[in-house]
This record gives sequence, C-alpha cells and structure tokens, in this order.
Amino acid sequence: MNAVLGVTLKGVDAIKVEVEVEITGGLFAISIVGLPDAAVRESKERVRAALRTLGIPIRGRVAVNLAPADLPKEGALLDLPIAVGMAKSTGALRFSRPSVFMGELALDGRLRAVRGAVPAAIMAREKGLDLFIPEDNAHEVSLVHGVNAFKVPDLRSLIDYFRGDLELQRVKNDFKADQQKKIEPDFSDIKGQAAAKRALEIAAAGHHNVLLIGSPGSGKTLLARALRGILPPLSDEELMEVMLVRSTVGISSSRGRERPFRPIHHTASAVAICGGGTNLRPGEISMAHRGVLFLDEFTEFRRDLLESLRQPLEDGEIVVSRSAGSVTYPAQVLLAVACNPCPCGWFGDPVEQCRCSSNDIERYQKKLSGPILDRIDLYVPVPRLTPEELLSLEGKCGESSEAIRERVCRARSLQLERWSDIGSGSNSELPEKILRTRLGLSREARSFLGSVAGTLKLSGRGISRVLKVSRTIADLDSSVEISTAHISEALAYRQTGFLS
Amino acid sequence: MADHLLLGKWGEDLAEKKLMDQGWKILGRNISFKGGELDIVARDEKELVMVEVRTRTFGKIMPPECSVGPDKLRKLVRAGKYYVLKNKWEGPWRIDLIAITVEENENVRIEHFPDITYGGAY
Repeated sequence: MNAVLGVTLKGVDAIKVEVEVEITGGLFAISIVGLPDAAVRESKERVRAALRTLGIPIRGRVAVNLAPADLPKEGALLDLPIAVGMAKSTGALRFSRPSVFMGELALDGRLRAVRGAVPAAIMAREKGLDLFIPEDNAHEVSLVHGVNAFKVPDLRSLIDYFRGDLELQRVKNDFKADQQKKIEPDFSDIKGQAAAKRALEIAAAGHHNVLLIGSPGSGKTLLARALRGILPPLSDEELMEVMLVRSTVGISSSRGRERPFRPIHHTASAVAICGGGTNLRPGEISMAHRGVLFLDEFTEFRRDLLESLRQPLEDGEIVVSRSAGSVTYPAQVLLAVACNPCPCGWFGDPVEQCRCSSNDIERYQKKLSGPILDRIDLYVPVPRLTPEELLSLEGKCGESSEAIRERVCRARSLQLERWSDIGSGSNSELPEKILRTRLGLSREARSFLGSVAGTLKLSGRGISRVLKVSRTIADLDSSVEISTAHISEALAYRQTGFLS
Repeated sequence: MADHLLLGKWGEDLAEKKLMDQGWKILGRNISFKGGELDIVARDEKELVMVEVRTRTFGKIMPPECSVGPDKLRKLVRAGKYYVLKNKWEGPWRIDLIAITVEENENVRIEHFPDITYGGAY
C-alpha cells in the first residue's frame, strides 16, 4: 500500500503526515481528524469543489485521518494530499511510489503556493520520496540538490500524470540568484565618519555586532543602512538556511544572495522578534539569520525585549517553548544597534550643550544592561560633522561601497577557507576551543593582550570577542598572524563605560 | 381532506411520475417515523434518494423551495437515517427536493434540486 503523504511544519523542519481516507455509505459529509487547525479543517470545502470540477464527485461519508494523530497539523498545504487521498480511495488514480504532496487548492483545481516548500524538499530528499509541489514554489525548491520534485500546475495535471497521460516537469537544480542590486545609500555618499566606516567594514567582514552611538542627526541610521551594501554575499549553505526560514514564514523573495537586513521598530513585541505565537512562527531574529538585525533607537526598546536577545546572540539559535511544543529557529545575526548617548542626545557633543541631569543620564544608561553591551563587539562613536564639512562640495567622501565590499568578501573567503572543517562561516561564530588553539595569535600580541585585559577589566567573553575581532582585522589585512596592532585596534572598539 | 393536503398529495403524485419517467425506481411513498416523514424514497442508479416534495400555488410570497428551512432539513436527515438503518442500506444516500408551482395560467412548473444537504449545511 502506498500511503499518500503530506507535511506539516514544526519549527523549520517538515514532519511527514500520512493522509488516510475512508469513504463509506451515508449522507455526504467530510470529517477530518488528527488535530487539524482551522485552515486544514476548511480544506474540505476546497478539496470537494476542486474534485468536483475534475469530474470526480465524492459521495457518501468521508473520513480523513491525518497521522500521527497527536501532532497538530497546520496550514493549507495539506489540501493536495487530502484531495489525492480522496481521489485514490474512489479509484480515480493509483501510484506506485511513495510520494509527498503539498499545495493549497483553488476551487477550480489550480494549485497555489504554500509555506514550507524548502523544509519539505529537505525531508523528501532524506527519506528518498518523490515530491509534488505547486509551480510557484519551484523556485525555492530548485535550491535543494538531489530531491526528486515535480511541478504541479493543477490537480488535473497531477491525476493525468498518474494515469500516464501527461509528463510533469521536474524541478531542476538551477537556482539562479539575481545580480545584487545597488544599495542606497552608498558609503561614498556619506561624508566623513572614516572611523565608523572602518568599524562597519570590520563588522561586515567578521559578522560582528556593532553599536553606533552619537548625537541626533549625526548619521547613525544612514551608516547602518549603508552597511547592507558592503555585506558579503550568502554562501550556498547560508542561502539554504535563509531560504529555509523564509519558506517557513511564506515569503518567497527574489533577493538572491543578498543578506537579510531587518530594521525593527522599538514598538515591536517580544514574540515578533523572538518568534512564537499560537502557531509558532519564526521571529525577526530568525528572519535576520545570516544577516543584519538593526535596532534603531536601541534605548527606546523595552528592557525585557533586549534581555530576551541575550541567549540567541550568544548561541546563534533561539529555542521557542510554548505549551504547543518547543522549536529551535536559527538566529545567527549581526546585531547592529544605534542610540543617542543621553535622553536629550547632545551629551559629549562639541557644539550643543547637554541638558540632561546626571540622574537622567544614569537612568538612560541603565537601559543598556551589561550583558547586552558585553555582546557588542564594536562600539562606534558617530560624531557630528561641522556645517562647513557637510556643506563643502569638494573633498573626498571616501571609498564606494563596492570597493569596501570587495575587501570584505576577500576577508570572508579567507575565513570560509580557514574554518571550513569546523563548519563555521565567519570569525564571530568560532567555538571557544578553536579560538584558543588556531587563531594565529603572535607571541607579542598575546602578552600585550594579557597586560591590557587586566587594566580594561575585560570579561572572559570580552577577551574572546576581542580575539575574534582582531582575527577579522588581520583577515582584512590578509595577515596570517594576529599582531599587536590588530589587537589594539580591536581593543579600541571595545570601550566599556562608553558614556563616562 | 383539506384543500392544501389535496394539493400536496397531487404534487407528490406528479413528482413520483416525473421520477419514474426519468427511470428511477420508486421504493416507497409517505414513510413516516416518529419526528419525520419521507415523501418519496427512490433509487437513482447507485444512490438512495429521499425526495421531499413541496407544492404551492402562484401568489404565495415565496417559492416552494424556500419553505424547507433548517428544522425541516434536520427532520429529513433524521428520517433518512432511520430509513437507511431499517432497510440496511450501506451505500451513499442523499436528500432531493422537488418544488412544484401551479402558476396563474394553470401552468405547472416542476423543479428538481438534487442533494440539498450537500456541503453539510444542516
């Protein structure tokens, strides 16, 4: 007996669902059991209408069982397997290989795109099953190598295929990433801020967290947005991970190899950022996986929300536990945050006078908790430019994003090569053990760091973050060894008590 | 017999004749159970059909098919289930409605609505 298989999502994994259909005599009725959610329960109307348009009337009492019975099933992607199961039990079609079906049915039998095609493709590949997907999902699935997937435009073609009257097109592994579009603003559009630009270059090269701090209007947001333009392209493996999350949420994007960049407004809820909800969806931090999570006006975010970022920032994944179950979503993000130095914003500004009392400043500082700040690798002051500097037409604005990006890409490919055996793509994700043994720290640099770490009161995490950043700086230099100069540059970005 | 009952009987006869002309096999007429009655029970190929007949003369505000509401549907379903159980029918069955309107010019209009519970709206 060849079971009709469908899938349901749990986290970013697809779980196999067996669809069994029994049709007995009686007044026409369809009942679906196996913990269906509202979308699955409503599928009976779509399935019935679609089958009727194809001239396969369903009569009698229909019982649909979705096994395993204790796993909650969600989403309209089970429409197709239910329809195939019904058609099969009326004898309208038969097939010889175990196959996975997914797709939402239109009333006229066309198939609509669904969430979760990439996880389903991975599952089908592992289990060696054929996969039938809606045509509109073919693009994402073309990314998964070695899966035997077919594009199905509508239910009729699928039935004709099983009757041997029609060939369905296979999904080819020809995933084409579009050429990266030019991203505005370009770094050459931004005047001055050479130090900040250098820090962002390091952040992009090693995937390090960065904090931009400066008075209002000094260009923090502009710089952060320009960061998009210098990020290295996603590698094949990273692209797969990103598509996996995107497919789970149901956004089919043609952004190609461009890294995700998710700007978050400070009114966002903890569930929106971390993931969760009744049906357990990935949050923004997972959507920004392998890319940038940008929190503008960092100090305006709710305290509990910021604290909830602590664990995912360290582990690169987030475990969302609810009564409905617990799932793990990837969350390897480059955290970019921007904030003012004090409530009025002018603290430390060379021109404007700060109006805040010391109490105000203290309260403001408290919002940025130690543990969060400890996870920031690069503190970047963004000083205000003088009006003369801003208005002057001549004078160079520095390199273009493209030139910086080239250096970043070179540094990143060095990292990919070096860490290929431990499956790490960038310096920031290095496990502690590797850090100690294979970093290439020169003898002088080691003793230098030893002497400075005590004075700067660096924490254990602080030291390893300094080491990771200096490794990236050395990579940008194409240097095998980490020298004292690299260490001291990394230390310069690590300023504790940045407001003092 | 009161006029409206006579009209109903006449309508049922008319409906039965129409179904026989279509080649259906008539299995019973006016089968009543506690809490429901089946006007006509017939066989349409593989399916058992309980037929409810509604007859009205022109001039009523609503057409005859509108006089079958949710309560009536529930009663029909219940009676149908009884019948099926009693007669050990194991195949699919359904409920049809035949609406007969006697128009102003003595013209008789017969409409057949198959499977009125399709979709589960009862």
